[in-house]
Amino acid sequence: MSSAKSDCNVCPEWDCQNLNDFKNVWVVGEVDENGLSEPSLQMLTPANKIATKLNTKIVGLLVGHNVKKYAKEFIEYGADEVIVLDDERLSMYSPHIYARTIAELAKKYKPAVIFISATMKGRELGPYVANTLRAGITADCTDFDVDEKTKDVLLIRPPFGAVLLAYIKTPTRRPQIGTARPNVFKLPPRDPNRKGEIIEESIDYIPQPKARLVSRKTLAVNEVPIEKAELIVSGGKGLGNIEGFKLLEELASKMNAAVAGSRKAVDMGWIPHEKQVGQTGKSVKPILYLAIGISGAAQHMFGIREAEVVVAINNDPSAPIFSQADYGIVGDYKQIIPALIKEIESLKKQLKGD
Amino acid sequence: MRIIVGMKWVPGTTSVRIDPKTGTLIREGVPSIVNPHDMPAIELALQLKDAYGGEVIALTMSPPPAIRGLEYLIGMGVDRAILVSDRVYAGADTLATSYVLAKAIEKIDKEIGKVDLVVFGQETIDSSTAHIGAQTASWLDWPYIYYAHSAKLIDNNKILVERVLENAIEDWEVDLPAVIATHMKALKPRPVRLLNKIRYKVEKPLTTWTNNELKLDPRCTGLKGSPTIVAKTVDVPEVPRKKVIYTPKDGEDAAKWLIKTLMEDEKASKALIKALKEGGGK
Ligand SMILES: Cc1cc2nc3c(=O)[nH]c(=O)nc-3n(C[C@H](O)[C@H](O)[C@H](O)COP(=O)(O)OP(=O)(O)OC[C@H]3O[C@@H](n4cnc5c(N)ncnc54)[C@H](O)[C@@H]3O)c2cc1C
Ligand SMILES: Nc1ncnc2c1ncn2[C@@H]1O[C@H](COP(=O)(O)O)[C@@H](O)[C@H]1O
Repeated sequence: MSSAKSDCNVCPEWDCQNLNDFKNVWVVGEVDENGLSEPSLQMLTPANKIATKLNTKIVGLLVGHNVKKYAKEFIEYGADEVIVLDDERLSMYSPHIYARTIAELAKKYKPAVIFISATMKGRELGPYVANTLRAGITADCTDFDVDEKTKDVLLIRPPFGAVLLAYIKTPTRRPQIGTARPNVFKLPPRDPNRKGEIIEESIDYIPQPKARLVSRKTLAVNEVPIEKAELIVSGGKGLGNIEGFKLLEELASKMNAAVAGSRKAVDMGWIPHEKQVGQTGKSVKPILYLAIGISGAAQHMFGIREAEVVVAINNDPSAPIFSQADYGIVGDYKQIIPALIKEIESLKKQLKGD
Repeated sequence: MRIIVGMKWVPGTTSVRIDPKTGTLIREGVPSIVNPHDMPAIELALQLKDAYGGEVIALTMSPPPAIRGLEYLIGMGVDRAILVSDRVYAGADTLATSYVLAKAIEKIDKEIGKVDLVVFGQETIDSSTAHIGAQTASWLDWPYIYYAHSAKLIDNNKILVERVLENAIEDWEVDLPAVIATHMKALKPRPVRLLNKIRYKVEKPLTTWTNNELKLDPRCTGLKGSPTIVAKTVDVPEVPRKKVIYTPKDGEDAAKWLIKTLMEDEKASKALIKALKEGGGK
């Protein structure tokens, strides 16, 4: 890379950068009452790909109070180094304080890349961090790569309509910041023998938070999230009413499958938003996805690209989903689901009899 | 309270078409709408005004057709609206967009009156980055809380914001001035009222600011002020599928065919057998 890439005739709100000063790939660790979050560890998977291509290190970042104890875990999952800022003043997460603190550390260490998991908190924090650094950020990426010629990171995301993928880069600024939704990337394998350096940081000034958490009720999430289910039964507008959805749920429980739905099913209130599949919902990767009363809009199909086997049940032979499914049945779900429940029950008996 | 709501005027379609020659989206002929996820934000701002008085100002950075969206918001009860529009703002990414919005908010604060709260929507349907709220807050150095479901004034200079995350419900005490962004399912928007439309016709409470008014360094706006660029776009590659279609005699025939077909499919049968064996006595 030539230093000709640094450009000082920039917006006076930005600092003048020499891009060659920026090295390493950072992964921001998100810590909650259950420890280091799995979505943030999943970001080590793309970090590994990019760090290999750029021939640099992966650095995990832990900011908060009593977070040092997670450094080892970060390393075992793939970080080469962990920067820890463990400070009592950070015992309570507050978006702008955390963002400023992370930005301070980034100004000091100059990472070339920062990956942040797009959990709900990550979606709040990420753009605040990026903007504090006057850096570019690309949200909800589904893949990352490196431009072989310029060594810029390519941040790949589905824009409007889910029919085009955009390759985004930030050729004149660093760090290059990207987020990805939980479970888009797999958790890397944990290696208890992996070793790495832990760097303890401190910071003089931390402003008083202007937003303070006053109460938090954790909700019991005892179900498997749909992103992790192997079998999914998914319903759309074509189910017609909540009774239709109840029938679908009965089928799912017989099959031991997770229930999901299209955006229209969510809009009708038949299923909660966290079970929506698609561009503005979740990307799922089951072995079997059963789409019932779903037309097959691009935004929906985007969420099941990685499903191994897609089955569609729809009474309209011209529904677009039939050209995007492995097995399609043209028919009314009201007749098919009850019969399917019976077939599943008898198959189950057969299997248990084995 | 003086509350600003951000609005984006977006193509209102789910069926996008691609120009086969250029590979880009065809936006001509696609009617635009107020970004649907901004509706709960507008409703929240109006509810706060109903409860505590003050005024609600709608703000958008956009080419002039967005005036139609601002008119719609005035119809819902927004007091006045500001369109920020200039050629030097074109081609902005979220950093450059939020910069212009932040500067417009500072100008409102100085010239119209002290701004207490800025409310944005969860995300836009055409770019869905969910960046603008946090970035605007960062330019202003104000606190930011995302996924708000409700807000109430608890002091003259604080609000209590309830939000719902994946696994928790949280209450936040937030010092004003602040920026919040609503959850897309937070509130149902109120309809447009005739009275407000008439008021719009009579009072014309709509202002346009160009860079003559905002006087921003062009290196901070539009393409120049945008660190990110789109290097290229490609079609999302099609997923290969078997596309076996069956038209059954009746439900029973359909069910039998499906089970047989799945049991003959190597991957599907494994998963199904595993699930049914694990399934206990259900
Ligand atoms: C920016 C943006 C993001 C979006 N994100 C998402 C997303 O994340 N997820 C998503 O799902 N959508 C998303 N959408 C919406 C998407 O474009 C479609 O509108 C939606 O997926 C359609 O849902 P559906 O298939 O359930 O309903 P419909 O399109 O109305 O289809 C219903 C289907 O049911 C069939 N049917 C009717 N009766 C029966 C019956 N008795 N038996 C069997 N079949 C029957 C009909 O033939 C029809 O094909 C998004 C849209 C936009 C603009
Ligand atoms: N050009 C704009 N002018 C005013 N507000 C905007 C603009 N773009 C986005 N917003 C607001 O910011 C929110 C998030 O947008 P986005 O970051 O594009 O997903 C939207 O819901 C709007 O409330």
